[in-house]
Amino acid sequence: MLTLLLLIPLLGAVGLGLWPGNPDAAMVRRAAIALLVVQLLASLRVLLAFDPGVGGMQLQEGISWLGSLGLEYRLGIDGLSMPLVLVNGALSLVAAIASRDVQARPRLYFALLLVISGAVNGAFLANNLLLFFLFYELELIPLWLLISVWGGANRAYAATKFLIFTAVSGVLILGAFLGLAFTTGSVDFSLSPVTSEHLAMASQMPLLLALLVGFGIKIPLFPFHTWLPDAHTEASTPVSVLLAGVLLKLGTYGLLRFCMGLFPQAWAELAPGLAIWAAVSVLFGSLAAIAQRDMKRMVAYSSVGHMGYVLLAAAAATPVSLLGAVFQMVSHGLISALLFLLVGAVYRATGTRDLEVLRGLLNPERGLPLTGSLMIVGVMASAGLPGMAGFISEFLVFRGSLNAFPVATLLSMVGSGLTAVYFLLLVNRAFFGRLAITPRDPQSGPIDIRLPALNLIDQLPSLALAGAVVVIGLWPASLGDISEAATNGMALMPVLLAAAGSGGLG
Amino acid sequence: MANPPLLQRTVANPTADAAELQRRLLAGETLLADTADHLLEVVGVLESYGEVLDAYSINLIFQAEKQFLNPFPVFRFLDGDLNPAKIWRHLNHDRINFEYAEYCQKAMFWHGTGGLDAYLDSDAFLENCRTIIGRKRKRDPLLALLHPLFPGFLVELIRSAATTHALGQFWRVMSDLFLDLAKAERDGRVCTIEQVVEFIKDGLVAAAANPITYAVEIHGENLWVLPPEANLTFLVDVAVPYVEAVFLRGMPFLGTVSFNAQAQQISPDQASFTYGALYADPLPTMGAGIPPSLLMQDMYRHLPEKLHQWYLACTRGEGDVRVKICQSFQKSMFCVTNAAIRGTFPHALASSDPGEQQANANYAAAWAGRLAKGRTDCLGAEA
Repeated sequence: MLTLLLLIPLLGAVGLGLWPGNPDAAMVRRAAIALLVVQLLASLRVLLAFDPGVGGMQLQEGISWLGSLGLEYRLGIDGLSMPLVLVNGALSLVAAIASRDVQARPRLYFALLLVISGAVNGAFLANNLLLFFLFYELELIPLWLLISVWGGANRAYAATKFLIFTAVSGVLILGAFLGLAFTTGSVDFSLSPVTSEHLAMASQMPLLLALLVGFGIKIPLFPFHTWLPDAHTEASTPVSVLLAGVLLKLGTYGLLRFCMGLFPQAWAELAPGLAIWAAVSVLFGSLAAIAQRDMKRMVAYSSVGHMGYVLLAAAAATPVSLLGAVFQMVSHGLISALLFLLVGAVYRATGTRDLEVLRGLLNPERGLPLTGSLMIVGVMASAGLPGMAGFISEFLVFRGSLNAFPVATLLSMVGSGLTAVYFLLLVNRAFFGRLAITPRDPQSGPIDIRLPALNLIDQLPSLALAGAVVVIGLWPASLGDISEAATNGMALMPVLLAAAGSGGLG
Repeated sequence: MANPPLLQRTVANPTADAAELQRRLLAGETLLADTADHLLEVVGVLESYGEVLDAYSINLIFQAEKQFLNPFPVFRFLDGDLNPAKIWRHLNHDRINFEYAEYCQKAMFWHGTGGLDAYLDSDAFLENCRTIIGRKRKRDPLLALLHPLFPGFLVELIRSAATTHALGQFWRVMSDLFLDLAKAERDGRVCTIEQVVEFIKDGLVAAAANPITYAVEIHGENLWVLPPEANLTFLVDVAVPYVEAVFLRGMPFLGTVSFNAQAQQISPDQASFTYGALYADPLPTMGAGIPPSLLMQDMYRHLPEKLHQWYLACTRGEGDVRVKICQSFQKSMFCVTNAAIRGTFPHALASSDPGEQQANANYAAAWAGRLAKGRTDCLGAEA
């Protein structure tokens, strides 16, 4: 059943690539949407078969592939990966729906989109380190192409920067996995934790640090974040949706699954430092967002800040904080996808994202009233207002981390407050006041604003995402029930290992 | 992906245009450029405005005469027809927004310029009020109680009723004039903006000396509020104060721009207000109860088919039709103002006497100075 989640998008990509003749872009898009709907339905089918009471991997399937190399095709799913697979299914569909402007090379574009979706599913489902790495690298090239072919004016620079950063990330991760095999002498590349009985702490630390930097680039955490704002600025709206909503989650997923899961003891040693790193990342991302005048860069920097919460929660590693981390991954995926869609709608209508230029877009007759209203919902959710997904995740993260790392948690809370500052700046500048696009030349007088109206049907993905954000906010058990057993198990792992190391479970 | 054209510059910088406006006024040119689209917009929007003014006028006169000194005028917008179906339509908002007419009446009453306002403060008017209140108190215990407690209250209500009635009479004339204009355009007698301005000027001049009077019936007895002896006339005592209050000064209602009176963003001098219809922001937020948007909604319900089709063909079609009506309305109000200025020059424009020329130039300069004050400051890049 899990294999189906890989086959649908990957075979679909091959099918689109081999589509004979010169098909119309709209037709290719409809085919891609149909495939992604089937993929989302398959993900929901997995959800039905999924038993939330089980903490470990389930629905496992696999065959030996290259056994001598330790490369096994083994898939499984647990409470950590289940929500992420669902988010990937939903956001890939949203990205395809939002790709209505693609006219050049539609077959390649949608095939790459499907490859990314399949590769991300593979990475979330992989139960083998090498298999994870293969899928992790597989999404890299399509995304590079999506930015460098269909991106903005400065796309070559941004795409190359993205490629270099993420390739370094991949090298570090592969190095750590191979290093683990060499130092432990076993080449099974399974997901079993490494304790000091198998490997000395002095050997664990460099491997963990390599993984941390590797995933820290992907997440991204300060100071490895510089590729992200550039990539977002140049990427088209659907690519930004995928990048922020799904691909960054590969980093945080790796953090929880591999950094914490493989090296629980070394992780516990490093945790205080990681918490401070998280707080620095949160504060840096928030302060940098305040300084932006491009709406998209502002949302991109907010991602840097909000992904820091996941590191904080992982450092604390309590049951509550880890559940908060899962909530944060899902809610950030939905909220940032929503915000990027809306920024894309504003850009489509006005041709600019400059906060010094846009004014009063909430005007009901000539502005973008629905986009503006959804933007207000999105920024309220991002700032963590009660009743929205952001509140649940931030509350769980802070509540779970406060006892372990009070200073880092309080600093991160300041970052949460700063979210309200920069997003209120955004809403106030771009959406409130009198509708105007400030003329470059102040002497040129008033300008008649003639923005095209946006169709309701084009806004359906944004409406659906905003609805999901509110549903999770009002009914957090819908997501919590799926993940709670898994995150509890992960939280207890260091405790159990410590107990085992000291000679018994008491 | 190519960006669609977003901005179309349609208005030149008004602050630099005072000299140009003065030149046009003195040369007898129209303020609004003479184009076929402008003619369609101005005549069409004035026709719908004429229909709306007809209803406003009937209602204002009904209020002043039949709801006189009624402390709870709950049904004042129903013109005395208390049919349940009509009440339902009213509550369901399938109706004219008479609130806009009240807004104009209040603006006129508050700014209070011209002969009508002077008469409302005269001893003769107070004497009329004493008589009316004396008659009215006899059979109205509530008023009998109120008047000794607040002696100024009923007098003020009567002043307000007098303004209401005067505005009703003014709009009666304007409504007929605008509907005649539309008919003249259909008959081919009016084909240019110049002819529109002349048509309106002739209408105003013809009605200029119409007497403005107002009497109320109390217990079968007719009593004057504005008697013929007050010598109030249409143009000087009502039309000019109306233009001053509604076209030019207006009131700073809450809209897309918030005003901070404490920070002196609103002038303490009423005479320098520029919140009137000529300066109104055509992009209101359409929030509840903002008066100009009420008028646009009313005109929308009476839009001539030809103009409606023209609106449907541009920008967002039906989506921003009220904004387009507001823009056309401002153009038409500039034509009316143009006609009023043209009709009130102190001397003939063709005069060769240097003294008369100078007087005309001063008159035109004063108007140009006021019209050039566009409320464009709100367009600036305020932080």
